[in-house]
Amino acid sequence: MKLRRSMLFMPGSNAAMLSTAFVFKPDSVMFDLEDAVSLREKDAARMLTFHALRSGLYDGIETVVRINPLSSPFGMADLEAVVRAGVEVVRLPKTDSADDVHRLETEVERIERACGRAVGSTRLMAAIESASGVINAVSIASASKRLIGIALAAFDYVMDMQTERGDGTELYYARCAVLHAARCARIDAFDVVFPDVNDDAGFLKEVDLIRRLGFNGKSLINPRQIELLHNAYAPTVEEVDYARRVVAAAEQAETQGLGVIALNGKMIDAPIVEHARVVLRRAAAGGTRK
Amino acid sequence: MKIVREALAGTLESSDLMVRIAPHPDLEIVLQSEVMRQFGAQIEAVARDTLDKLGVTAALVVIEDKGALDCVIRARLQTVVQRAAEEWTAEWSALS
Amino acid sequence: MSVPMTNELLSCTVDPAADPAARAEIKALLEACDLSYEPSIEAFVTLSRGRSLIACAGLDKNIVKCAAIAPAEQGESLSLTLMTEIAHLAHARGHNHLFLYTRPDNVDRFRACGFHRLVEVPGIAAFMENTPIGMRGYCAQLRTLRQPGRDIGAIVMNANPFTFGHRHLVEYAVAHCDWLHLFVVAEDSSFIAYRDRLAMIKAGVSDLPRLTLHPGSEYMVSRATFSSYFFKEKNAAADCFTAVDLLLFRNYIAPALGITRRFVGTEPFCITTRKYNADMKDWLQRPDSPHPPVEVVEIPRRTQDEVPISASEVRRLLAAEQFGRIGRLVPPFTLALLRGKYRPGRTPSQIPDPPTRADAVSPRKGPEPYENS
Repeated sequence: MKLRRSMLFMPGSNAAMLSTAFVFKPDSVMFDLEDAVSLREKDAARMLTFHALRSGLYDGIETVVRINPLSSPFGMADLEAVVRAGVEVVRLPKTDSADDVHRLETEVERIERACGRAVGSTRLMAAIESASGVINAVSIASASKRLIGIALAAFDYVMDMQTERGDGTELYYARCAVLHAARCARIDAFDVVFPDVNDDAGFLKEVDLIRRLGFNGKSLINPRQIELLHNAYAPTVEEVDYARRVVAAAEQAETQGLGVIALNGKMIDAPIVEHARVVLRRAAAGGTRK
Repeated sequence: MKIVREALAGTLESSDLMVRIAPHPDLEIVLQSEVMRQFGAQIEAVARDTLDKLGVTAALVVIEDKGALDCVIRARLQTVVQRAAEEWTAEWSALS
Repeated sequence: MSVPMTNELLSCTVDPAADPAARAEIKALLEACDLSYEPSIEAFVTLSRGRSLIACAGLDKNIVKCAAIAPAEQGESLSLTLMTEIAHLAHARGHNHLFLYTRPDNVDRFRACGFHRLVEVPGIAAFMENTPIGMRGYCAQLRTLRQPGRDIGAIVMNANPFTFGHRHLVEYAVAHCDWLHLFVVAEDSSFIAYRDRLAMIKAGVSDLPRLTLHPGSEYMVSRATFSSYFFKEKNAAADCFTAVDLLLFRNYIAPALGITRRFVGTEPFCITTRKYNADMKDWLQRPDSPHPPVEVVEIPRRTQDEVPISASEVRRLLAAEQFGRIGRLVPPFTLALLRGKYRPGRTPSQIPDPPTRADAVSPRKGPEPYENS
């Protein structure tokens, strides 16, 4: 399982960011062809993203592209370009139902066959940005085997809900719903962008909340937030210590062919072992929390 | 690919380039770069190769480079050709 | 590193005529930057952060004007963004070749934006264009039209319309040099359309030897070269008004063709033209220049009935439909053209184009010089 704590957004039209963002080592980068790109630059952003994907600059970082909706004049051309360029994950914006995912999947498969790419190798993620998307989150999350995760996107969602971004109260239900849908489908869940790039304290507070809720990670618009986020997601020394012992006990039980895992005389369930492995992966990637 | 109108692509910002293209009797590339001395020849080679792959044999191309990587040079050149061509016929597989 | 996305820099296009609130903001920014608002600007690009306007630049056709960045925001990257936006806006409006005037201390900033300095009026203004091959290409074209000789003459003529006065000036010039280069003002802002002025001149000088008729260019008596850039010091603006045009002639056009003399008629009526003639003697002949001087030869106007012939008088007679009197001031071709196409009460849209003559010089696009050997 791949760690996806940080997903760095950048406008697909911005040559400077595309040429440098890999140095910040986010877990994933998301080239945006949609809202961050003006109508004038749609063609240019598509071309630039195509070449950034082919360039090798992002080797070792998961590449995601947010395409324009397939119903727009740009969506299909975006998809043709990025699937052919070898993008790892296509992010579908404004996903309202499982049908949206099915439609995308059909087109992706067609392009994979046309360009000789292994069918199924293009993964998908769905962004949920509306009340209906939230209500349909469970069916969306299990709509395709290609899905690696679903993401809540707040900007459109709060407008659809006739409210605005605030302290998080406005996202309470949506966060819980998206998260549960993701966990049911055993895929990842990503939280919204934190809009104020200068408010580190507010950012860390939100990160603490979503980490405790259980989100895998968060979308970011400022590379500076990557380190803050990774540190917040890093386990404490105590957690690592405990996780090591859990995993050691599990391995020992396995080599001894025991059906029950025990640590200090207590029985350990499979979910605890799974969580311990996640803790160790986070520690391996980001060390322990400072 | 035939260039039938003037077009513009890219920006003047760092790590990017701005390129203009116009109909012209032959292929002429005019390059200005902040890194002309070290990379001028390479930038021009990438630009020529990109135009060549698109089959652009007649155009005036004026490039104002701000230290763009090769992948950015290709992307900007292809964008400007796409905007200036009569008909865009290139396949994605031909663009790498 | 800079993180463009987080700056929340918002770029807008403003039509100053339709948006008084935005216009007022722009005026305030220009004021803070010691620049005056120019009403001739048709469209602005603005950059704002949050609610405050931090940069703007305007377009008057293909001339960039009123480019300003708030004093607190000075930094190269903002000007690059601003000039990127203005380039795209100009392109969308059909202008790819751009000019701008700026203070000499800003030349480097605009150079970083892809502009190239053509001339500088010391301490007052620099004139720049957005291509490395604009003037260079024009001069290369001109050099192919060089003619042998020691005394090479030039006239820049609007001919609105072409009169016996113009004819007299050309005759005099041809007689006083080895070859004459005759340029037609290309700017289409005169009463008589450029193509008609060109046709009148061509007809009016067709019998004269040793002469090349050049279509005009943007580098000569054009909106661009005569664009009045209003600095705070209004006197400087007036000075700059003619100096850029004249320096372009002396530094580029004259050397390309080897021009040694510029012929001009005395101006008894129009103050602006009289000042242009006076400034010409100064800027073309100043000794403190690395470029060879061009001798200015000013000859008295030809008179008819003891009154100097002038094009403005012809236009006045035309308004009164006094074709008989016009016929004494202009050659037959001019008269016929005025009768057929410029009679009062006829709007140009009602007038069918005259049948094109096989040898007519094509208007504006690409110089097709007409040579009388």
